[in-house]
Amino acid sequence: MLLPKQTAAIFEKLSKGQFICSNASNGDERRWYNVIDEFYEDLYAYFMAINFSLERGNEFFYFTRTEARADLERKIEAAYRLIDIVDFFKTFDQAFSAGYRFTPSQVLVRINVDATLKNKMEGLKKYTKEDTYKDSLQKVIDLLRKDNFTELENDISNTYKVLTSFAYLEELILSIDTPTEVQ
Amino acid sequence: MTSFHNITELLKTLDREKKLLTEVFEKRRIPFKWEFALLLVDEKEERLTFLLNHGIMTRNGPFVELDDQYLQFFETILEVNEEINLSYINENIQQVKQNIIYYLQENDADRQYAYLKIIKGTLRKIDRIAYRNMVDLHRNIENTFKTEPTYTIKIAKLENFDAKRQDITVLLDQAELVVTTEEQAFFTSAYDEELKQIVISLRHLINYLRHNSIELQKQVIDYLNQVKYQSRVMEKLKQVKYLKDQFELKNKTNFIEVLSNNKAVVFEVNPSYPLRLSLDVLRSDDTIEIKQRIAKRIKTGVKLTLPIAATIDAEYLNNQTEQEIFINLEEVKNSFTAAANNLFNFIMQYNFQRPVDFQERVTIYCQVVSIYQNELNITDYYQQQQQVEFALVYPK
Repeated sequence: MLLPKQTAAIFEKLSKGQFICSNASNGDERRWYNVIDEFYEDLYAYFMAINFSLERGNEFFYFTRTEARADLERKIEAAYRLIDIVDFFKTFDQAFSAGYRFTPSQVLVRINVDATLKNKMEGLKKYTKEDTYKDSLQKVIDLLRKDNFTELENDISNTYKVLTSFAYLEELILSIDTPTEVQ
Repeated sequence: MTSFHNITELLKTLDREKKLLTEVFEKRRIPFKWEFALLLVDEKEERLTFLLNHGIMTRNGPFVELDDQYLQFFETILEVNEEINLSYINENIQQVKQNIIYYLQENDADRQYAYLKIIKGTLRKIDRIAYRNMVDLHRNIENTFKTEPTYTIKIAKLENFDAKRQDITVLLDQAELVVTTEEQAFFTSAYDEELKQIVISLRHLINYLRHNSIELQKQVIDYLNQVKYQSRVMEKLKQVKYLKDQFELKNKTNFIEVLSNNKAVVFEVNPSYPLRLSLDVLRSDDTIEIKQRIAKRIKTGVKLTLPIAATIDAEYLNNQTEQEIFINLEEVKNSFTAAANNLFNFIMQYNFQRPVDFQERVTIYCQVVSIYQNELNITDYYQQQQQVEFALVYPK
């Protein structure tokens, strides 16, 4: 089997639970995305041999295990946190989705005029443990950044871009069946 | 209401009031106050009344606005119109049809020519209007998708635009039918090079617009799907968040099941792979810099603390004297050489500086004999005293 030379780098990133997105600002990552796209079959078989399943999302790739490894408690905690964060940003702007660009200051301005958003920011403080909104918001953005859902696109204007991997969170939320009475 | 006598008068008026008209046109979506309008005509109320009288502007209570006729004209010319008016195309098709009938029935060549001119003009108009409509539609769809904040309205608007697109396609088909099959008699009899050109260009454009329309349809469907997906996400998110805040998410939904089945690595703790260093590499000179750097770091980083001994007890420092009287064997031997007795008896009777018992005197005897063996005359004669047998020793 002839594997692309970026295989090690791809493994390095994906095995940390991160995503490889087609709209990343980083040229390397975009190239990796194209490489995976091109050699998907080969890479899938290769990673399968070491118990990682290479999954294809809408414009992003990620790893899953053949059997669940993380304990449920941790997953629930992480999912709760992500639901709160997604809810916060969707309240900020309904269009907050893959490809969306924002700066922390925009969000801060909205927090000052939007009581709902302010309330949700207060709710997020339990994850961030920061006093000021500014620090707290930065922590929230960093959480998303750590898992590769957003990235700092321009550090001069401090602009963040939502990556295509955000669709993974949306899919996760959509996969939860809610009872009809709530609907 | 008075109307303009000629085009020059109209153009002159528009030119004179261009400041006001520009301002009102730019602010056409918000009410424009009469006082502000007055400021823009140099406070001359008669100029404003002139505009009102000639139907360029209308007054609505304390506000003024551009007359709908002019507004539409400006919007259409400047290509900023949001309305897509299909009646124009339809009207023009009808006009072509009517004029074709007049043309066919007219015998006079000059009048026929006049009708032909109208037909050509109208066909050109259809050409232009259809193209403009498509471009407008395109722009409006894009704008709606990008700027409309409410999802339900966005969906409704997009669906409307799609219906309009279908109408345009139907009209294009009609127009094509007119120039190809329906009025064949006219198009073959009216032999005119320009008309031919116009028809060819029209058919060319219709073809082009049809392709455009298909592309547009695809785009609208894509946009609608995106919007519907987003609104579905929003709705679901609201429900999930509500249940979560009510602490019912685990019980009322399949949340646990979803997460149990989710095997994504993203939920795992970030792994670290502690690898041992290669000893071969460490031994080589290539790593000397790294090793030095680390050594330096360790040197500064760790401070060795020497254990301090406990203070010495003052008692140990005080002088202590102990007296012990030693028996000087040399002196005993010297005294013995001067005496005539044998050594054993001599020692038994010797006056030591401290009381010495029999046992010790025997020990001293043995010590003197063994130390000064060569200076003493040890005979082979033995005596016994108190169960101790001893050799008789005399000085030499």
